[in-house]
Amino acid sequence: MSSLFHSTLIPCPSPNWREVGVRAEWRTIMLRIQNVTKTYPNGTQALKNVSFDVKDGEFLVVIGLSGSGKSTLLRCINRLIDPTEGKIFWDNTDITIASPAELRNIRRKIGMVFQQFNLVKRSSVMTNVLSGRLGYVNPWLSLVGIWPEEEKKKALQSLERVGIADKAYNRADALSGGQQQRVGIARALMQDPKLILADEPVASLDPVLSHSILQYLEQLNKEGITVICSLHFLDLVHRYATRVVALKDGVKVFEGSAQEIDRAKFKEIYGEEAQEVRAASL
Amino acid sequence: MQRSRIIRNVFLIALIVAALGISYNVTGVDFPRLFRDLPKGGPILREFLSPDVFTREMETRTIEIDFPIPCGSAPAESEVPASGPRLVPSVNCADERQKFTLEGFDLEPNSEVIIRWNLPDDRTMTAIRTQTDANGYFTSEVEARPIAATKDGKPSQLEVDTNTPVGGMKPSQALKDVVDAMFVTIFMALLSTTIATFVAAPLSFFAASNITRKGVAGTTIYYVFRSFFNLMRSYDPLLMASVFGFWLSFGAFPGFLALTVVTIASLGKLFSEAIEGIDSGPIEALQATGSNQLQTVVYGVVPQIVPDFISFIIYHWDINVRISTIIGFVGGGGIGFYLSEQINGFHYDRAGTAIWAIVIVVWAMDFLSAEVRKRLT
Amino acid sequence: MEQSTVTNSRLGLSGLLSAVIPGLGQFVRGQRYRGVAILLGFLVMLATVVWYKNPLWYASPIAIWLWNVWDAASARQRSILLPVLFGLLAAYSIGWRVVGIDFSKADMNRARMIVRPMLRPDFIQERRERNTMWVPVQVPCAPEPPKAVREDGGKKATAIPDCGPVGETIIVSVSGMWPNTETNVVWQNPIGNSMMLGEGETSMLVLTTDENGSLTTAIRVPTTALVAAPDPTLPQLHRVYFDQYRPIGGYELSFIGNEVLKGALATVAMALIATVLAVLFAIPISFLAAHNLMSGNPVTYAIYVVVRTLLNILRSIESVIIAIVFVVIVGLGEFAGALALAVHSIAALAKLYSEVIEGIDPGPIEAIRSTGANWVQTVRYAVIPQIIPPFTAFTLYRWDINVRSATIIGFVGGGGIGFLIIELTRVNNMRGLSSVFIAIALVVVTLDYLSAKLRERLV
Repeated sequence: MSSLFHSTLIPCPSPNWREVGVRAEWRTIMLRIQNVTKTYPNGTQALKNVSFDVKDGEFLVVIGLSGSGKSTLLRCINRLIDPTEGKIFWDNTDITIASPAELRNIRRKIGMVFQQFNLVKRSSVMTNVLSGRLGYVNPWLSLVGIWPEEEKKKALQSLERVGIADKAYNRADALSGGQQQRVGIARALMQDPKLILADEPVASLDPVLSHSILQYLEQLNKEGITVICSLHFLDLVHRYATRVVALKDGVKVFEGSAQEIDRAKFKEIYGEEAQEVRAASL
Repeated sequence: MQRSRIIRNVFLIALIVAALGISYNVTGVDFPRLFRDLPKGGPILREFLSPDVFTREMETRTIEIDFPIPCGSAPAESEVPASGPRLVPSVNCADERQKFTLEGFDLEPNSEVIIRWNLPDDRTMTAIRTQTDANGYFTSEVEARPIAATKDGKPSQLEVDTNTPVGGMKPSQALKDVVDAMFVTIFMALLSTTIATFVAAPLSFFAASNITRKGVAGTTIYYVFRSFFNLMRSYDPLLMASVFGFWLSFGAFPGFLALTVVTIASLGKLFSEAIEGIDSGPIEALQATGSNQLQTVVYGVVPQIVPDFISFIIYHWDINVRISTIIGFVGGGGIGFYLSEQINGFHYDRAGTAIWAIVIVVWAMDFLSAEVRKRLT
Repeated sequence: MEQSTVTNSRLGLSGLLSAVIPGLGQFVRGQRYRGVAILLGFLVMLATVVWYKNPLWYASPIAIWLWNVWDAASARQRSILLPVLFGLLAAYSIGWRVVGIDFSKADMNRARMIVRPMLRPDFIQERRERNTMWVPVQVPCAPEPPKAVREDGGKKATAIPDCGPVGETIIVSVSGMWPNTETNVVWQNPIGNSMMLGEGETSMLVLTTDENGSLTTAIRVPTTALVAAPDPTLPQLHRVYFDQYRPIGGYELSFIGNEVLKGALATVAMALIATVLAVLFAIPISFLAAHNLMSGNPVTYAIYVVVRTLLNILRSIESVIIAIVFVVIVGLGEFAGALALAVHSIAALAKLYSEVIEGIDPGPIEAIRSTGANWVQTVRYAVIPQIIPPFTAFTLYRWDINVRSATIIGFVGGGGIGFLIIELTRVNNMRGLSSVFIAIALVVVTLDYLSAKLRERLV
């Protein structure tokens, strides 16, 4: 599999932080989440006073049961959901008080990958990928569907990187689930993101495909893009995470490396009845 | 639990039976009459089935004789010629309501015969239509109608026209009129559907709960548009046409306008439901890329709804063709107007031409739109 | 892709073919659907333009023809957008003229005259109490006319003189009525027709009684008093009425309101009867029109084709047109309308039902049969459960449509509320028409909602 992207990948600009270990402390903090609380209009408290920092180049995995607030947390970061309280700092600006124009500028630097892929099914793969660039291009030309040549070239390159350039002119719903998720990643790549938010990117996929998708994310991470990813399966967490944040009922119950999650911690996060399931043995 | 269900079902059945009973009475259902009088529909159906499509050039010859009613009120025809085209009544005068036989000899063979009374005041009244045989002979029973009575010493005349076809077939006037009216009908449907689309497409966003129903103002707008669509949709376009007819006088224009208004409401509702049914995922994804509102609509909403919209438009085009065939019944122009005129004038053969034209056009449009929709999905 | 293999000479050939017959070049190249569509579009456009003989409009078929040749002679498929645009442009310019769209006709003052009374629907009225008194007047005079004095329950009315010819001035007075109340003074001829006594005999003479409940006024014997008389020289007793009204609180249905309610009931009843009749006939017919059941042998297939064709013809004819025939057969009224709706619904329902039957899943049938069930059991447990819910849903949907159609079937004499509409429009009664519209909206929206709820529970 890895031979596939050797030819197309740019050499890594920054070293994988796992290999440098202690030096991680010196890395800059790119995202600071401070006492974020989210209460929905119906009274549900999805997040309670959650705080943590994300450092440049991390592969941070958020774990927790369904409904523990993982999705809400990720969506608070690019403000698809407005947090009720707390602050989120991105490059020393507070996202929570950004104006609509500022917010759009911030969002275009944060790619997002979704559990349900969220592609426009009836549009072509190409259009879906190009739409990742909407925050950059001339808004009026984009409305009538005119795209600069270099953007189209870039879209094809992105598709090549995820290995499905030949599907560029197919309709999105003609692709399999794994392929659709790769289109989702290509769309995020178009944004030249500094950070990728991945909300359960493999929950709708076969275990075997899960690894292939996460390997793409890992590869991007090695190229220097910070990744915040929510995951279900603990074995995937062990395999990919450089650091883990665990949520339970909206409260942060754990923060540390994947290796620190022992049996007791596991029960604490997932509850007494939980049994560890392995996604796949690759 | 079981018991209450039984009670509920019994109650429901009783309700349905009662509703049917009341409806039966209110409607005045009378099947014996239907079966007894079914033959009355025969002549109309027969004429419908032999539409006036082609005519042949006709040559008309007329002979007439004086026929006093009652006898002695005026001098009768003195003598009947022995040869040549001639009319021979069994009596040369008659009393009111007396029946007699009229024969014709040596007329044009195989021709249509129209027997008429030429009344003393120069009005004419068609009595009977019949046909001559190969020898140019016909016979028919005629009644001496009181209206044909002699007036001021001037007797009525019995007049017989023979219409002989000469030359080839050609499209009848009725066919030409029907094609003309059909064009109006189709254009009415085309224009009302397209114009309604342009109006309904933007308005439907206001009636889509996932787009508009936010905050007090949004909720108000949502309900206003929703109720407007629901209200207007409940009226048959003919009903609307009768009011628009008041305003704009009669013709195709008020019919077109009525059709457009109802179509706007109907399409608006269908469109808004399509918008409500869209997947919010792609919209979220687009927002996450930093695109603005308009870009989100163009790249996230429009591609999702366009196929549904097109399918609804074609569906409505189909309906509108049907409705525009009858909107003329309330003075709305098109084939319906022609049809109602012919029926009011008892020209059922011309009405038949119109009905067949309707069947062909509606069927063809049905077929076409089904094909197009099949290709879309 | 394949375009690169097409050589120039072949392109020229297909261009030439398309120049002769539009679409032929495309057809020969293998784009069959495109070729047929082009030919059809071109022919329809040409037929329309030839029919209307407007030289300007010829531009459109010529443009389509040119585009077609260009498309056939190009290696790449040209966008269909251009000819569609030509076609629509021509269709619009012709249609606009033919339909007679003329927004200058939209006179706002006239609209106001129509809408303003419609804002006050004539449905209910205040309950009123009537206080009336009359006095006889002989027209023309007999040698000894009866005294024009009448007393009734404390009320007294007189006329001076007791008699007179048409146009005679007569002083009438009344006492014992309600004090300070508007009173209508009306002439009534011996057969009960009322005539107005106001200015020019076209308005009501309205006077107010004094504090004692009396009034006196001069009237003229109206010019139309003897119009209906068989012999105008024969002295007859006419009456002068004094009518007072006062509200007694509360509201009641007005005359029109009553008619509207009756019409609405008749409309719903007609639709119900029509739907029930239609279902009874459509179910057996639908089996004859189901392809999977009838395609077995040539005889049944022939029946299938005939039934399908008949259904298609009937479905194309709106129920209003069918109603004309039934009005001739069973006379004016709801029954004719119900029959017409039923016939149209049979055609529509039978088609929908037969599609349901065609779409039956053979899996359950196989499964039930494999348990050793006989034919009846198989139908009962594998077929009926599959078809009942969609049948019911289609029937409810049809009932909805029938209610809507029943509102207008009265236009051709089919009974229901449409009858009332025709009568109200004939006398320009916009207030009455408005209450009809409200009633229809209420009935249709309610039934719509109910049947939608029912269908939701079924599916």
